[in-house]
Amino acid sequence: MRRITLLLLVLTIGCVLPVASRAGEPIKIGLTAAVSGGSAASGEAIKKGLQIAMDEINAKGLLGGRKLELVIRDDEGNPAKGVTIARELVEREKAVAIFGGLHTTVALAQVPVWHELRTPYMGVWAAGTEITRNGKSPNFVFRVSANDDYVDKFLVRYATDTLKKSKPGLLLENTAWGQSNEAGLNKYLGPKNIKPVGTEKFNWNDPDMSPQLLRLKNAGADHVILVGNAPEAAQVVKSRAKIGWEIPMVSHWGVSGGRFAELTGDLSDGVVFFQTYSFFGKQNERGQYVLKALKDKYGVKGPEEIIAPVGVANAYDGLHLVAVAIEQAGATDGVKLRDALENLKAEHKGLIKTYKRPFTPDQHDALTDEDYVLVVWKGGQIVPVAMK
Amino acid sequence: MVVQLLVTGIALGSMYGLVALGYHITWVTSRTMNFSQGHAVMAGAVVAFAFYVGLGWPLWAAVLATLVILAVLGIGLERVAVRPFFRVASPAWLLSTIACGIIAENVAMLTFGKDARAFPSALTQKPILVGGAGFYAQELLIPVVGLLLMGAVQFFYHRTAYGKQLKAVAYNPEAAGLMGIHIPRAVMCAYGLSALLAGIAGVLLAPVLNVAATMGTIIGLKAFAVAIIGGLNSAPGIMVAGLGYGLVESFVAGYLSTGAREIIGFALVILVLVVRPWGLLGSRPARRV
Repeated sequence: MRRITLLLLVLTIGCVLPVASRAGEPIKIGLTAAVSGGSAASGEAIKKGLQIAMDEINAKGLLGGRKLELVIRDDEGNPAKGVTIARELVEREKAVAIFGGLHTTVALAQVPVWHELRTPYMGVWAAGTEITRNGKSPNFVFRVSANDDYVDKFLVRYATDTLKKSKPGLLLENTAWGQSNEAGLNKYLGPKNIKPVGTEKFNWNDPDMSPQLLRLKNAGADHVILVGNAPEAAQVVKSRAKIGWEIPMVSHWGVSGGRFAELTGDLSDGVVFFQTYSFFGKQNERGQYVLKALKDKYGVKGPEEIIAPVGVANAYDGLHLVAVAIEQAGATDGVKLRDALENLKAEHKGLIKTYKRPFTPDQHDALTDEDYVLVVWKGGQIVPVAMK
Repeated sequence: MVVQLLVTGIALGSMYGLVALGYHITWVTSRTMNFSQGHAVMAGAVVAFAFYVGLGWPLWAAVLATLVILAVLGIGLERVAVRPFFRVASPAWLLSTIACGIIAENVAMLTFGKDARAFPSALTQKPILVGGAGFYAQELLIPVVGLLLMGAVQFFYHRTAYGKQLKAVAYNPEAAGLMGIHIPRAVMCAYGLSALLAGIAGVLLAPVLNVAATMGTIIGLKAFAVAIIGGLNSAPGIMVAGLGYGLVESFVAGYLSTGAREIIGFALVILVLVVRPWGLLGSRPARRV
């Protein structure tokens, strides 16, 4: 009896499904990101980028007039929650592709789910190296964002080749993120025969960083490479001023958000870091469009008011790439969509760059160190630096 | 290096001491305390930020309004989270005050926002450099105010009649009640004072630590460690322990490693609990047989 019920159930679902996916139905895109808690600004930025791209895509429609629809779930930066949400977005909401947020820990926890459910994932923030280099084949995880490995290469290249410095002091957040960058930085310093003169850690909400900085100073560091988020990086910069140490500071992109400028005032002047995109300075056609859309839709008056700009830019390009892939695949099936993403034929003129086959079986990061923009804090503004 | 670590340690330590005095005030009256004292400090900083930066009030008015609001919050906390349990001698106030702290943190996240914000102060614009060591003027203000408040608390409890009454409540509530002391009012008053102190601490720390909904947790925890080390019933003990704790943190971080800092700091707490459970300068409780 139970078998018959089951059989009937399967048959019913089998009959209903094709109807559900008929033309004209919206194509659902999922977002799992922190939209509450300390990193909420990142989730909001991603949402804006996705929404602006979605309006553009929906104006034309996909696969003969179907529209995209965004389904957002708050993962709170919690990996366990992230896994539940991943399943919910695919199994209940029937999202065909999922976008992901700031937390590397969440993204890593979700990797097996995407492979099990055969659903492509597009990371637009978290930079953990193993998210895309996850050892899976076929790999369902893609990214339009930074990758720690390239970041470390980029930071080391700037410090040693452009600044001509050879005694780095590392100052890292005492988390898995800090640790993975410690390994990455050493990986690229090694071949240049450079050993950090010191490696110091700090915890979240640490009020004073002068002991760490003093240790690096006494060890003879001629520049500091910083990996941390805005509140702690602000305390680093304040402590640096306190011990009166004029030292070039090169930073991971944590200092780009969270009101770093407000927290530090003029003290942040000269802190060099990178972004995947800068809305300051001359903009390409897409840049002008996105700035205008941000103004019309969200009342953002100018680049200085865009909180967490990399989230907006990455999400904007990411969704356009997914849309191109949907058109190329001619379907919303996860496997076909994944294959299309890995073999994108059309050249896509994006915001950050022009994408020519951005993903291959060996490369699931659309952006590399060649695409990063070097920027510096100056008078509370992010200004691009010309890289020699 | 030594001078800088010394300066850093004193600045940090006086923050801990200042916050820890809040535990002392309610403890000597009621043998209870607000376990979320750190969150009360956060509330002080956030409320002051709202008046000073948000509404653009002059600093003195913003501080005054903050202190009034905090005192009222403290009294409210006593009513809601302490009195029901104090009356039946249940230690559940421990959990209920923590719960209130978590609620406060989330309310702050919803209303104030999730980003850390800068609390503008003329005293943190530029550091003062003296002989290779530097500090912000605000960091100098904290120990000064901390010592003054310690003196005031000490004077209140030992020299004024009402202070003595408050202390009597803790020794023997029944006898104190029979002598005509209104016990609920006494406890309420202590909580109001304690929250007021947290408000002062919040305003003083805000320019140094920045204002954030999550700023209270760590500082509250470390202040608690300091209160235990110094002796919950001794205000001077708490200030001394605060300074000592700050110096240990700064020197351990400077000469050993940052990782060892918390390990050694909290190991000290355990050591003190084993050797002198009543704290460095606390008075040994009389044993009842």
